[in-house]
Amino acid sequence: MIKITLMIIAFLMAVAVGILAGPAALDAQIIQLRVWRVVLGIFAGGVLAFCGCLLQGLFGNPLVEPYTLGSASGAALGASIGILIFGAISPILAFLGSLGTGLFVYTVARIEGGLLRDRLILAGVVMSFLCSSLVMIIMVVGGRELYEILYLLMGYLGVIINSSNRMMIIVLIIISLGLVAFLYRFHRELDIISQGSETAAGLGINIQTFSIIVFFSSALLIGLTVSIVGAIGFVGLIVPHVSKLLFGPKHRFNLGASFILGATFLLFADALSRVITVYELPVGVVTSLVGVPFFIFLYKR
Amino acid sequence: MTEILFSIGAGDKIVGVTTFCTFPPEAKEITKVGDFSHPSIERIIGLNPDLVIVNLPEQSRVKKELDKLKVKTFVSSPASLSELYSELAALGTELGQRRAADSLISYMKQNLQAVTPAERRRVYIEISPRPLITIGSATFLNDLIHDAGGVNIFTDLSKDYPVVTQEAVIARNPEVIIVLHPLDITGRVGWQSIHAIKNGNIYGNLDPDQLMRPGPRLVDGFRKLREILND
Repeated sequence: MIKITLMIIAFLMAVAVGILAGPAALDAQIIQLRVWRVVLGIFAGGVLAFCGCLLQGLFGNPLVEPYTLGSASGAALGASIGILIFGAISPILAFLGSLGTGLFVYTVARIEGGLLRDRLILAGVVMSFLCSSLVMIIMVVGGRELYEILYLLMGYLGVIINSSNRMMIIVLIIISLGLVAFLYRFHRELDIISQGSETAAGLGINIQTFSIIVFFSSALLIGLTVSIVGAIGFVGLIVPHVSKLLFGPKHRFNLGASFILGATFLLFADALSRVITVYELPVGVVTSLVGVPFFIFLYKR
Repeated sequence: MTEILFSIGAGDKIVGVTTFCTFPPEAKEITKVGDFSHPSIERIIGLNPDLVIVNLPEQSRVKKELDKLKVKTFVSSPASLSELYSELAALGTELGQRRAADSLISYMKQNLQAVTPAERRRVYIEISPRPLITIGSATFLNDLIHDAGGVNIFTDLSKDYPVVTQEAVIARNPEVIIVLHPLDITGRVGWQSIHAIKNGNIYGNLDPDQLMRPGPRLVDGFRKLREILND
């Protein structure tokens, strides 16, 4: 109970810091700007960590996350193609990229009656490399859009909200949160599956169908997230581990805690980057810079 | 650079250009060696040039390769108007067109004369919206704004093209915004308190080539800047 309270306090502090910290004097306009940034931070950090937790549970592998499964890179590739063709990021292409790599990885890792976990990661990493190479080609061909794609690859929360994209972002966030709620309902099944597929099958869970639902819903979630804030790394990998360290293996707590901790972590990282410099740093840079020492500290303690 | 060569009468000496070199129209007829940041070294060598003009920092890789192959290069990276003038003079000497280069320099100096208003208007230049890219002090556009009677709100940043936060722009509250991309910026959340947005001082109709490419066309860009900053 005390841990949950502390987590909530940390989250609220992160929101407060996100709104109060920054170079400009606080007025109605700045508050609006920062509230949006905080909303994006909660959304992106939460969804990525949630997906990481979900996938780690499903595949019983601590290395699985949106990046290592290739989904994030696939989404970034889709989004880059959108930039090249339409001059703007397209959520549909990002989703298709994420789904396409997901499909490939899934096909490679699938065997009779289940998934080979090691092969899953291997295929995911291989696809990540492929997508990154394709993105590099697009960067070279596109030229002028180089920076846009670079920021897309590292992720950033400084997205400009204006009258033309506001509605779309709100809708995408609502869809994503709906998906998160939908997936959260499977926490019991996840607990059983992470104990071993025989047990799960014995309890009447169709693992194949279940994996497909979870796998592709998370691909959709990752595609949506990347299309708004880019492919922010590190959060999806590390936050679920921290959550497990704090709350144990039960997914009922873990999924929710991953969401809140992911959001908290991303908000702090972003506030830090805004306070120390007028330059817009890709938030993925800051998450790694801040996250790695924190992670080592936590595990060595 | 291509347009500078044409304007000092050395256009007929050019054997290869990049796809970026679109002015004057004759430049488009010349053999292409690739795009601005990634030209093909092999194609450059294939043209057997006596001199390769490279722009730094974008083409530093090209320069390195050419140095290795002992191909003579002329480096261009004007971070200010005065650097641009001295580059022009050096290039004129190099190409045996010193007199033409000198007359281009004096034409530009004459037409880019600094005005000193009592109060300088704060200017924000937006090159790209995602992420926000503006100009720092290591650009001749920074000088152009100053000489036209304004001051770049990011002149304290020593970089050439810094990526900045929305908040930094809002905190520096520009009086004039010059947009060098085609998107509308007026409906942005959080930007409504900015002086330039409240007063409609947003200019999106300037030709980026007249402000960001070194050469005689800067005179036209400068004229427009002066009008905007002193009306």
